[in-house]
Amino acid sequence: MKYKVRHLTEYEYSAPVALCYNMAHLLPRDTNNQRCLSRRIKVWPKPVYQHEGQDYYGNQTCYFSIEEPHQKLSIDVISYFEIQTTDFIAQAEAHPLTLGELKALLEKPHTSELRMAKEFILNSPQVRCSEQLAEYARDCFSDEIPMIQGVKAFMHKVFTEFNFDPTSTTVATPLEQVLEQKSGVCQDFAHLSLGCLRSLGIPTRYMSGYLETLPPPGQEKLTGADASHAWFAVFVPDFGWVEFDPTNDIMPTDQHIVTAFGRDYADVTPLQGVIFEGGDSQTLSVSVDVQRV
Amino acid sequence: MHTDALAPMTPEQASLDFDPASSKHYDEAFDMNGFPRDHWQTIIESFNALGAEGVADRQQRARRILSDDGATYNLTSDPLSPNVWGLDIVPYLIENDSWKALEQGMVQRSKLFDLIMKDLYGEQTLLKEGVIPSEIIFDHPGFLRACHGISVPHAQDILLHASDLVRDERGQYLIVGDRTQAPSGAGYAHENRVVLSRVMPRLFRTSRIKRLSHFFQTLRDTLMRIGKQISDKPRIVLLSEGANSKTYFEQAYLANYLGFPLVQGGDLTVRNGQVWMKSLNGLSPVDVIMRRINDDACDQAELKPNSLLGVPGLLEVARSGKVVIANPIGSGLLETPALMAFLPQISQFLLGEELSIATVKTYWCGTEENRLHVEANLSQLIIKPAMRVNGGDSYYGHTLDQEAKQALLDKIRLAPHRWVAQEYVSGAQLPVWADQGLKKRPSIMRMFTVADKDGFSVMPGGLSRVGSQGNERIVGNNISDTLSKDTWVLATDFESTLPAGMDSSSVQDIALQSNLPSRVIENLFWFGRYMERAEVSLRLMRTFFKQMNGVEPLPKESRDILLKAISLQTGCLPGFVQGDSSMFEEPNDELASLICDGARPGTIKSNLNAMLACGEQVKEMLSADTRIILNDLRAHIHQVDRAYANGLPELPEESLDNLVTSILALSGLNHESMLRGPDWMFQELGRRTERALQTAKLLKSTLTEPLASMQQSLVLESVLLSVEALISFRRRYRNRNRVAYGLDLLMADRTNPRSLIYQTEQLRKYLEELPRNESSELGLSPEKRMIIKSLNDIQLADLEMLAHVDEIDGERSALSDFMTQLTEQLERFTSHISDKYFDHAAGPQQLVPGHGEY
Repeated sequence: MKYKVRHLTEYEYSAPVALCYNMAHLLPRDTNNQRCLSRRIKVWPKPVYQHEGQDYYGNQTCYFSIEEPHQKLSIDVISYFEIQTTDFIAQAEAHPLTLGELKALLEKPHTSELRMAKEFILNSPQVRCSEQLAEYARDCFSDEIPMIQGVKAFMHKVFTEFNFDPTSTTVATPLEQVLEQKSGVCQDFAHLSLGCLRSLGIPTRYMSGYLETLPPPGQEKLTGADASHAWFAVFVPDFGWVEFDPTNDIMPTDQHIVTAFGRDYADVTPLQGVIFEGGDSQTLSVSVDVQRV
Repeated sequence: MHTDALAPMTPEQASLDFDPASSKHYDEAFDMNGFPRDHWQTIIESFNALGAEGVADRQQRARRILSDDGATYNLTSDPLSPNVWGLDIVPYLIENDSWKALEQGMVQRSKLFDLIMKDLYGEQTLLKEGVIPSEIIFDHPGFLRACHGISVPHAQDILLHASDLVRDERGQYLIVGDRTQAPSGAGYAHENRVVLSRVMPRLFRTSRIKRLSHFFQTLRDTLMRIGKQISDKPRIVLLSEGANSKTYFEQAYLANYLGFPLVQGGDLTVRNGQVWMKSLNGLSPVDVIMRRINDDACDQAELKPNSLLGVPGLLEVARSGKVVIANPIGSGLLETPALMAFLPQISQFLLGEELSIATVKTYWCGTEENRLHVEANLSQLIIKPAMRVNGGDSYYGHTLDQEAKQALLDKIRLAPHRWVAQEYVSGAQLPVWADQGLKKRPSIMRMFTVADKDGFSVMPGGLSRVGSQGNERIVGNNISDTLSKDTWVLATDFESTLPAGMDSSSVQDIALQSNLPSRVIENLFWFGRYMERAEVSLRLMRTFFKQMNGVEPLPKESRDILLKAISLQTGCLPGFVQGDSSMFEEPNDELASLICDGARPGTIKSNLNAMLACGEQVKEMLSADTRIILNDLRAHIHQVDRAYANGLPELPEESLDNLVTSILALSGLNHESMLRGPDWMFQELGRRTERALQTAKLLKSTLTEPLASMQQSLVLESVLLSVEALISFRRRYRNRNRVAYGLDLLMADRTNPRSLIYQTEQLRKYLEELPRNESSELGLSPEKRMIIKSLNDIQLADLEMLAHVDEIDGERSALSDFMTQLTEQLERFTSHISDKYFDHAAGPQQLVPGHGEY
């Protein structure tokens, strides 16, 4: 499957910004089954310094700074992807490892893969483990069923018990509140899943990217109707990272495009940085288009 | 927020005085039978020979030198009571043989820490192979993932390293802690050496002591060599937290000693992918930053967004290799106590060697076995957070009651991998001079290394510390509870006792040295202004007191005008300006407040405090003599406070005289001893502008209101007296006390260094010498326009007309209008100077994140 993605980010400031320094996680990365065929990033006004690199997790970064006064900043990214269909998910679903076995392996790690996976059972900048979170997920797992089946049940539980409601949360809403009110957006569901599964001892990472949405039958797809999306992946030793999308209750195959992954949103914030001057208010608008090509 | 508070001492290290029966302490100076060890003999004899009085006298002198040098630690916000650095004058002696072993051990340790740094921020084999349990690093807030993969264009990444050592009861040295991000103490060690060599000159000369200068020379060479990878003429700066830092004295001291400009985060900016210093001459490039701020504070764009100390964009410049930061951002990770538990294995893994100097026994609670051991032996252990970044609480097991112990154990059980326990080590006993004799106190020593061409070199000496009281149970980080000591390494050869020669190739670009950060010149400008404000008010008040207490007290009308003038001059309004008659009859409380109330802006004390605070900000720019005068000034302020403790004293002018004398000494020193560089220039600009402003205000406030002849001449006389012009006036005009003559002397006389015309002419001259920003200004710059206009106004003024009393207003309206306009022009002049030469950038703000992802 091939896709074209256009991701346009625009900031408007109430007064001119004299200077800015930004780190963007807007460029896509390659994964096992995803290859970026070409990509182009256009920042306006033209940065005096712009550099592409890779972060600690191997995600593509783009650092830029602008030194001319500007009241509007735009970052326009267009990229082309190819996603291979594999039988990875089928294999994952058949993987027999139980949660108990996984925990035993992590307790006394004997491979570097296990040692490095421990990073993803610890607290991260926006996700703290807790007994309350563990409790919410516990009934999905037992020693009789494979862990992957447990995670699948857990994903289904989140999908059925939580409401998608963009007005109910912000980036700063704590997990306890999300759990309490049982509503949020994909990022909240991903963070909640990270918190619950890590609290049970399962290495879990945050996936950030796009999802192809299809228009209602008979209608044209609207420009900018798509959005950036978030889901999670769990670690299976000697096998790999298996992805789950609790917002849609599916295991991603070829409709999820990955831009970056990390411990949580804070590791892969699309755009972070500081500005000098610019007045007291900023407005941000984002539009995303995913098209099959 | 402190980069590196010196390590706390354990209770044992600071416990009771020497107990001969106790074998818990190793005794540095005396053997088991109580005789001095060989290498201590000479020094013990010297101190005994000096006698109690002799030693007390030297100790006193040492304290005075430290105070004059401005050697402080943990400066509070009160500029009047600095904590003087504590130094005991009995040095710590180390024999050459013991030293060789320590030196070799430190070189090994620094090499090891450098390899750990490279590995954790690179390949991470230590984690992959399980040498360090990975959760220690992954869960550590000091592991900055944004710094992964940054390399320094040099063999070593860790350029400066320090370790704290204690000696156990068998005399074995043990390392109890390491400093890897911005080790402090090397500058204090050097200052200790300088002071001791001055107060104990003979002893110093006759003992063969290894010199410290090689260490600093190596530091300079190393930074220079690294800088050359970036630029032909590398520029190095020392990045400080500023005057609020605990160790600010040391930062200023090192900047001066090494010849690096002392800058704060706001003095630097990232432009076009490079770091620059904002200076008087515009932006000048920076290639190497020796930093004294914490890892996470370095860059608001990628690290802590609300840091007040950093340089936004710095990390990316380091990543691209266009600047080197010593030590690299992220190196604070290596200070984590948990690392100490694994050092023997790490050393085997990375170096294939055993550690030459052992590390204090440390238990990481992340394993069941260790945790149980810690639970069983809590009373014998110090418990620390395993991932301590900057200090953080330690718990001394034996001080906890049952309840506190249980609470701590519960905390540990919740997240065992976040805790370590260390054994107590009793530091060796060192002799100190206290209560008129040699006493023994437990000690700790910090050693320093710096990267060089072949590896690391060790400072032959160090910063030793002892408890200052004989009886404290726990000494915290509070340095004022401890005394430092100079550390003498006794050489067997003569060579290492010679000072290092200066390698000319490593001297910094002269241009950068004379190119000062904008913040520095701004502080000097204000230093001058506050000084002048204080002086004018002081002189006016002193005159008032003299006139009131004179043979013939001032008549009421003259007195009231002077009191109003005092309120106007200090700006402490309404004061006497709207005072009722009772206030004029009983002016003492208000007058005392105008002198001593430090919290009221405009008073003499608040101006002097502000001046001292500006001085503290630019400590590194002040000469030794200036610091001595400022110390005297502090002492005089305290005297005034005491004299005025119960309101206006009997002779109120007396204690003010000393303040005036100190200020005169400062201006004399500026005039005679300061190079006419930009620092002098801006201080002068501040003084001259302020003097012109104050004089204009004074003339307006005292002479606008006409009085009967006798009263008028008394006011005029007082004004002349306050600006030291009365004698000249009388010589020139005999007894004709006309206001116009007064104006002639105070406004238009070029030969009077306190006249308005004198100030404006000087200002005009200075403007010619200031660097010009290559701007597109047509014709005169606005600040010059303002000065020339003022100069012309003064020259063209018709003095008789100004002195004339307007019949309708009943006052000297022309004089009042003239002075008002002149004051406005001068105020505008200062704002032009400020706009052009000072930095006005507000801090950065964070880009708001969007809702995130749907």
